Amino acid sequence: MTKQKSKARKKASKKKVVKKSKGKFRFLFNKYSLLGLSVFVLLFSSYLVYLNIQITDKMSGRIWSLPSHVYARPLELYQGKNLTTTQLISELKQIEYILVQNRPTKPGQYRILNEAHFEIISKNFTYWDGEQKSQGIRLSIYNNKISVLHMLYSDETLPLFRMEPAKIAGIYPSTKEERQLIKLDEVPDDLVLALLAVEDRRFYDHWGIDPKSIIRAMLANVMAGGTVQGGSTLTQQLVKNLFLSPERTLTRKINEALMALLLEINYDKTVILETYINEVYLGQNGAQQIHGFELASQYYFANSLRKIRRDQMALLVGLVKGPSWYEPRKHPVRAKSRRDQVLKLMHERGALSLAQLNKYKLLDLGLAKKPRFSANRYPALIDLVKRQLKQDYNEDDLKSSGLKVFTSIDPLIQSQAEASVKRVITRLEKNNTRAENLQTSLIVASSQQGEIQAMVSDRKPDFPGFNRSLDAVRQIGSLIKPAIYLTALQQPEKYTLASRLDDTPLHIKTSKDKLWSPQNYDKKFSGDILLFDALNKSRNVPTVRLGLDIGLSDISDTLHNLGVSRDIPAYPSMTLGAFSLSPYDVANMYQTFAANGFNVPLKVIREVLNKDGQPLKRYPLESEKTIDEKSVYLVNHVLHQVTQTGTAKSLADSFPQSLAGKTGTTDDLRDSWFAGFSDNQLAVAWIGRDDNASTGLTGSSGALRLWSDLFSHLNVDGLQMHQPAGINKVWIDAESGGLSNKNCLGAVELPFIQGTEPTEKAECKSAGFIEQIKRLFN
Amino acid sequence: MQVSRIYRTNQTFIQLRPNKLILILLLQLSLLWLTACAPQIITEQSEVSILPIADNPRLPDVIKSLISQSDKQYLNNDFMGALATLERAVRINPRYAEVWSRMAQVYLKQGKVEQARQHAKRSNSVIKDNIQLREFNNGIITPDSSNIQKEPLH
Repeated sequence: MTKQKSKARKKASKKKVVKKSKGKFRFLFNKYSLLGLSVFVLLFSSYLVYLNIQITDKMSGRIWSLPSHVYARPLELYQGKNLTTTQLISELKQIEYILVQNRPTKPGQYRILNEAHFEIISKNFTYWDGEQKSQGIRLSIYNNKISVLHMLYSDETLPLFRMEPAKIAGIYPSTKEERQLIKLDEVPDDLVLALLAVEDRRFYDHWGIDPKSIIRAMLANVMAGGTVQGGSTLTQQLVKNLFLSPERTLTRKINEALMALLLEINYDKTVILETYINEVYLGQNGAQQIHGFELASQYYFANSLRKIRRDQMALLVGLVKGPSWYEPRKHPVRAKSRRDQVLKLMHERGALSLAQLNKYKLLDLGLAKKPRFSANRYPALIDLVKRQLKQDYNEDDLKSSGLKVFTSIDPLIQSQAEASVKRVITRLEKNNTRAENLQTSLIVASSQQGEIQAMVSDRKPDFPGFNRSLDAVRQIGSLIKPAIYLTALQQPEKYTLASRLDDTPLHIKTSKDKLWSPQNYDKKFSGDILLFDALNKSRNVPTVRLGLDIGLSDISDTLHNLGVSRDIPAYPSMTLGAFSLSPYDVANMYQTFAANGFNVPLKVIREVLNKDGQPLKRYPLESEKTIDEKSVYLVNHVLHQVTQTGTAKSLADSFPQSLAGKTGTTDDLRDSWFAGFSDNQLAVAWIGRDDNASTGLTGSSGALRLWSDLFSHLNVDGLQMHQPAGINKVWIDAESGGLSNKNCLGAVELPFIQGTEPTEKAECKSAGFIEQIKRLFN
Repeated sequence: MQVSRIYRTNQTFIQLRPNKLILILLLQLSLLWLTACAPQIITEQSEVSILPIADNPRLPDVIKSLISQSDKQYLNNDFMGALATLERAVRINPRYAEVWSRMAQVYLKQGKVEQARQHAKRSNSVIKDNIQLREFNNGIITPDSSNIQKEPLH
């Protein structure tokens, strides 16, 4: 009994010890666990705050990088406009209008009747000056001009119609994401219904994560022995797309769930759904990613989301699961099967009747031709656009603010310029053994407004490399001469077109013991030559004498007044163009001649709108009279003669229109130039080699041919030499410069500033009968 | 009489003295007169102030329609829009002095005197025989006080 008691006592004392030690341990556990728990809660809540900041930052700011888009000029249609049927068809293709056989009924359709009559329904388009609603028009083309322009369904004449401009390029962020935003209230209900039916049935019932869906997906996956179903809600998918990487780790899953919860706490369901509809990835067009249902709708069906059929909506919703796997153009059978699954779900949710389901299942996918949007077809021009935009916008804004940039780029002229470059460079290399590895630049602008219409900077026009038009700074040779003669003619008391210049050997001491002896191209000297003839024939030696006489700094001033912004070196050889300009600089310079002394800085951008179509900035036409119009008129008279009897006389045979221009060739035939203009167009052509080796081409045998080929394919208006007040035209003897009359042999009619006409009479030998007849007709 | 002395506004009855009532009646009469006559005054002003260039028979319909559109924008004080429209006309054909002159007028209205002068010079450079337009342009190019202060379109 005693033993039993002592055992019991021992047990009791052991229990006490155990109890005592357990109590002590519990005390320790509680103390550290509380501390740990507190730290965990603190860290976790800090982490939640961090995630929340990430979400609100992104959602409140600019959620997406929207690329900026560059548009060509809109084609203005009016009675009398020069336009061929081929050009109009090309334009309609550029803006992706669809040719139909019957009368067009929808915007973006057109029909051609008897190869000359067009019926077109335009699309809505927002210009800088507001929205232009869709409108039906009909027009006829006769003798390469628009002869009739009417409303489509009435005989009401339209004075003018502006066709929407082609989208020619995008300025993309590094992600190459492309999207077009749409508001939720513009999204068709059927698409929302289909999307929720397929991707997240309980979207309006959960808080970002849906345990029921997760369990259902887990069971389905276990049963199938692999991943067959996802349990992610739309909110989770959005979080994954917007904030997280695509890797499949536990950490990312946890983050996804937490952020989905936070997103739901912070934002309304409609915001989340709208964001999802604009964010979701739905395909790939080359390097560009197609994001959002609106852009996908245009990409696959060439139509807005608001205007597509329900079976097409079903296809788009079906693509969410795997845009590459179900890519409808590559895998039509797979895509159709997926579309039919979605249609079935739509039927189950009551969006489609059985009859409608069966009807839609019979339809094909209704895909449009793959659009070419976003491709940068004109790398040199877009480079110029970017450079001009960067003066007002930073790089990030350009790539992500969704700007709409309207330009003066004319796709019809650009395609002709590209074709001319390919054709002429190939021909030159074939016909001239010394001409190889030629490179080129060709710039076309409107001669009076200085708007760049086309630009090619490589013999392969779509090659996005060195932009020769802007960055190839080359010696300009004789292209300088009009500036020198202009400087002289601005001193009418001293120089007229009939002034006599000395064309005899010349030696100039340039530095210690160094003599420069300029030569004419033919290595001959003509003795005396009249000023107009020296420019017409591009004589070097009289030009150098003239330049040195009027002063290098005055020539430099004239060049700046003509629009050249680079520094001009003040040494004698500059009078023969031994200094370098880019083709773009040359175009600026000759534009002032073309515009009769008004300097209009070349530009390519007309207007910029923001992503919502609101005007941001307009780039107005600037025009400043920097040169006296009388002296420009005198020079232009000779530049016209250059195309008739001078170094570019080959143009006289090819063009009935009146033109003006100047050839340029540099030492060892390294550079071949031609700058010329008509009444409506100016173009500068350069041909050379990147290694600065000889091309074997003069200005006449190289660049002039390129220029001529291009102009033969453009709608060229002949030069209208508007004679300013205070100019008199007088017949003079081309040899002596004395007064003559039109019946005399060797007489030419030249313009003079009033009061500077020659007074001395020249001997008159009667012109032959044929010559007199020619003059009569001239 | 009692009724005429009561005026109803927002369901509140306010007692008015007879002299105030007369004042209100006079105001109403003057408003009525303005409503009837104002459009005529505005039209007359516009017709007088806008140079008769849109009526020039030499101008093609396309240019006339753009000038007419820019005039509307101008009268709505949309000067940027008016300039943009006139630039469209210049792109179609830069040889119409009337269009350049219109641009000069819009710049002048905006207070951009130098741009106005340059565009007036541009207009002069393509004028053939329109003496009235040349004189108007010269008024912008070499302004005296009467020319610069003058608002040609209003």
